[in-house]
Amino acid sequence: MRPYVRPPEGRAIRHWAAVALLATVVAKGLAAQSAVPPDLSGAWAPYRGGRGADPKLAAPPATEILLKGDFKKSWDARRAAEAEANKKGEPLATPAVECVPYGFPRMMSVALYPIEILPSAKQVTIITEAFSEVRRVYLGQPQLPIDQVPPGYYGHSVGRWDGDTLVVDTVGLKASIPAYQMMPHSDRMRITERIRLVAPDYLHDQITIEDPVALEKPVTYTLAYRRLPNYKMVEFVCENNREYTDANGAVKLRLGQ
Amino acid sequence: MSRRLALVAVLGLFVGGGAARLDAHHSFAMFDTQNRVTLTGSVSKFQWTNPHAYIEIDVPDGNNPPKHWTVELGSPSILMQGGWKFSDVKPNQTITVVLNPLRSGEPAGLLVRITLADGRVLANGPGPTGGN
Repeated sequence: MRPYVRPPEGRAIRHWAAVALLATVVAKGLAAQSAVPPDLSGAWAPYRGGRGADPKLAAPPATEILLKGDFKKSWDARRAAEAEANKKGEPLATPAVECVPYGFPRMMSVALYPIEILPSAKQVTIITEAFSEVRRVYLGQPQLPIDQVPPGYYGHSVGRWDGDTLVVDTVGLKASIPAYQMMPHSDRMRITERIRLVAPDYLHDQITIEDPVALEKPVTYTLAYRRLPNYKMVEFVCENNREYTDANGAVKLRLGQ
Repeated sequence: MSRRLALVAVLGLFVGGGAARLDAHHSFAMFDTQNRVTLTGSVSKFQWTNPHAYIEIDVPDGNNPPKHWTVELGSPSILMQGGWKFSDVKPNQTITVVLNPLRSGEPAGLLVRITLADGRVLANGPGPTGGN
């Protein structure tokens, strides 16, 4: 068979197209490297969905929590016990009742309390109003192996910019501290966040929890926030905690005089 | 603001549309949210504290000694979102409160609405938009 020979002008066109494509890719890469990150600084209030909320700004639905074996059994049992206790008006206590901090990730979504984001060149600091909890996200650093991070409430977080999105990786979270929706987890849990502005004053934190020991598949949920211009964070020192846990593990209120 | 909306605002336990659940300091199931008690009495103490603010009031009870009630409020942050100031309540003022009483029957409850000594009416947190 006679071999096909591309006409010379066609080759030239392809050559220039390739050069143009390469130039575009390089330019985009340079732009991404030198781009100023979006301004995430300041205070942010939870932006609730539902009636009256802009569906484009509200958080999309979460994926289902599918736990494995004993993790599922303990979670199901806890939820059943909670429902039963609530029916009796004797709700089961959680660590927060004793003013123990929530830890990450629950600290990011406590009722109506705002969070404050303090970005700097090497670190993004997040302070929550409820319980004044603090997270530090180190930028431009590799993540540590899980086994090298002392398990804690906030773990070890590193971040990098992926275009306009701050991608945060967190490991080293204590297995004894429940995660999203009080789900149990192992010390292998890894949490990836994709934090970005979906509008100039609206922020989404898409949180994906992976735990090959506890979860059948990763769980992803999103928290939506609205910027609070000029808001001054309110102090929160748990000095007058009248709720306590009784012998049955129920929350009770200590009455005043 | 309706009682139901006030409660939703205060509790803030859920966001709509199947999205992520929000956490709260404690469950409010110990309060009877199906019933309300209205009390007018004299303030003996106002605590602008975390995790909750409290009002202690003595409520006249006919020829008997006044009955003492404990009123749980949101936290200062949540109250401020609803227009409160730390100085809105003072000892010896006469106030009227609407409560969801404790289900245990003890004389205490969760604030739904207060009429301050100067006549202003405040809810136990921000309005139906919940600070949004």
